[in-house]
Amino acid sequence: MSTKRTDSNSYTIIFSVIMVVVVGSLLAFFANFTKDLRVKNDQVKAQIDILSAIGVESDRSNATEMFTQYIKQQKVIAGTEVSDDEKAYLIDVKKEMDGAKKGNVQRLPLFVAEKDGKTLYILPVRGNGLWDAIWGYIAINDDLKTINGVYFDHKAETPGLGANITESFFTDDFKGEYLYDASGNFKGIEISKSNGDPNNEDKTDNQVDAISGATITGNGVGAMINSGIRAYLPYFETLKK
Amino acid sequence: MELLEIFLKSIFIDNMVFATFLGMCSYLAVSKKVTTAVGLGAAVIFVMLVTVPLNYLLDQYILRPGALAWMGEDYAEYDLSFLTFILFIATIATMVQLVEMIVEKFAPALYNSLGIFLPLIAVNCAILGGSLFMQQKEFNNITEATVYGVGSGIGWFLAILAIGAIREKIRYSNVPPAFRGLGMTFILTGLMAIGFMSFGGMLTGGDEAPTKEVVENVTPAETVEVNEVATDSTALETVTDSLTQTVQQ
Amino acid sequence: MANTNVEKEPLFSKKNLGLVKDPLTDNNPVTVQVLGICSALAITAELKASVIMALSVVFVLGVGNVLVSLLRNAIPSSIRIIVQLVVVAALVIIVDLTLKAYMPDLAKKLSVFIGLIITNCIIMGRFEAFALGNGPWKSFLDGIGNAAGYGLILIIVGFFRELLGSGKLFGFPVFGDPVEKTGLYATGYENNGFMLLAPMALITLGLIIGFQRSRNKNLIETH
Repeated sequence: MSTKRTDSNSYTIIFSVIMVVVVGSLLAFFANFTKDLRVKNDQVKAQIDILSAIGVESDRSNATEMFTQYIKQQKVIAGTEVSDDEKAYLIDVKKEMDGAKKGNVQRLPLFVAEKDGKTLYILPVRGNGLWDAIWGYIAINDDLKTINGVYFDHKAETPGLGANITESFFTDDFKGEYLYDASGNFKGIEISKSNGDPNNEDKTDNQVDAISGATITGNGVGAMINSGIRAYLPYFETLKK
Repeated sequence: MELLEIFLKSIFIDNMVFATFLGMCSYLAVSKKVTTAVGLGAAVIFVMLVTVPLNYLLDQYILRPGALAWMGEDYAEYDLSFLTFILFIATIATMVQLVEMIVEKFAPALYNSLGIFLPLIAVNCAILGGSLFMQQKEFNNITEATVYGVGSGIGWFLAILAIGAIREKIRYSNVPPAFRGLGMTFILTGLMAIGFMSFGGMLTGGDEAPTKEVVENVTPAETVEVNEVATDSTALETVTDSLTQTVQQ
Repeated sequence: MANTNVEKEPLFSKKNLGLVKDPLTDNNPVTVQVLGICSALAITAELKASVIMALSVVFVLGVGNVLVSLLRNAIPSSIRIIVQLVVVAALVIIVDLTLKAYMPDLAKKLSVFIGLIITNCIIMGRFEAFALGNGPWKSFLDGIGNAAGYGLILIIVGFFRELLGSGKLFGFPVFGDPVEKTGLYATGYENNGFMLLAPMALITLGLIIGFQRSRNKNLIETH
């Protein structure tokens, strides 16, 4: 009887061993086969995101080329030390933030771009929206006082409300906004629901019009920008000199 | 504080059934009566309590890139994360089997009430989902992962308990024939999910904007109050800040 | 109908075709057998994600059913469930890696839900109920049919949610531009953003079930 044969312990063990070996090697082969593509996909995505902060549209086919064309320098700021690092765009901001909480020195990546003859500084930011993480890149003009452009993305904000932070009608409002108040102190940006400036004509009010129905996501965006940029202020001070 | 937040969040905000639709099969099949619903719900909490921390350890020390560093420098570069699914599901299936045997041997009373549900659980998406979401959320330590697992289990328990009770009651209502049973259960679950969405604002520190307006608008005669409000709002901000930081992990 | 295999049963006999056709309508795994709802509804806010999810399940269940059917006399009965889980998990990992390599943006959107195909009750259900007792060809048809029945529901739900929720299909605007107020929006039509939220997936599915049962009275439950 064949059922008898398949019920014995030794058969079961041999069967499991063969299964583990076959399945394991098959998957290992497949994982290796796709590894390069997967790693490259992540890298290219980071490049596309950084470029969109300075208003350069790219897609997966030309992102790497555009990235080398626009991004002239990649720096890593660790405490008071600043070094060049071509892999700075691969730094995991979340990991660095967690590390900083444990007392490690947070490595801050900074990308120096050149567009239309102007120097732009791009820095990554990360924070929390209503449901989960939000992140993005902020491009700052070479006066180090005004925003040139922003890029936001989110993990799970409400579709149609908080998820609209990725849309251009929201991100365009940030262009040209002052980060400092009239007396020259850093003030950041507030996502405001009641600034009486829905078309965002006043660039010196440190306020951007919020998306209605997305108060908490908006607050999260504001907090993320301010704490994100604040970390770079000491370095910006050295640049100004 | 952080643990409490993870706990409440996993029960109410990221509820397994209402936010991510996990474990729907058994949720629909076993919710006709409250008593069976309670049995299955309790079994889910129990298995979550065991499998989520176990899978957390697997993830930390075997699966994630660089996790094998404890075996020596040479192993640090291996990335076994492609084996995640297979290892997680194997752990779950084994643990369910093991738990069933242990419970049967040492707690026959518990086995009589939970026993028949345990085999169902190996293929309950809520269990695997709990482990996969745990991996995605990248918790700092095993305590947080355990709290998350238990919280998710309790969330699932609440959901199946509620729908079980409603289904017992709805038997006396005149539901249109085509919607009887499954159709109505789906719509009810949808309505409950809408209700649960309102928990979303629970852990965000509230809406700060109105507080600030109050501060600006009060007349000098009420300065004392202004101070209070101001302290309140700073307190609120500190809470929000600490919350933001905790959620950032 | 192609009568290729005359001596035995034709390859596409009525019975074999029924294996594919039944699950699409009267014996639909989702709306009638109540299986496999778990991993699916969260990703139906967009039609494209629904289609990819449906195709993934067709692949996993089609190939998985054949593998289990081929192995059915070799699998030791004591570790049957584990072997089946390993087969599904391996296939799902292949799907997951492929999506990550060739469709990275979509893979990110589907996140853990591809992994949750493993615990999709339809798959284990078909392995147990069909593949363990039937030959590979029949199992293949049965797998394809059931996965397609599941996919059909996903696609219907995805179609309504994307159309009513964001006024698009496969990401292309159907009703005009909601910001510029062109097309249908000029008449005052608004997208119902609520359709994109989780609860509406359940309610849409409830309505589909009600619709199907009002047309086929045999399916009505007596509570």
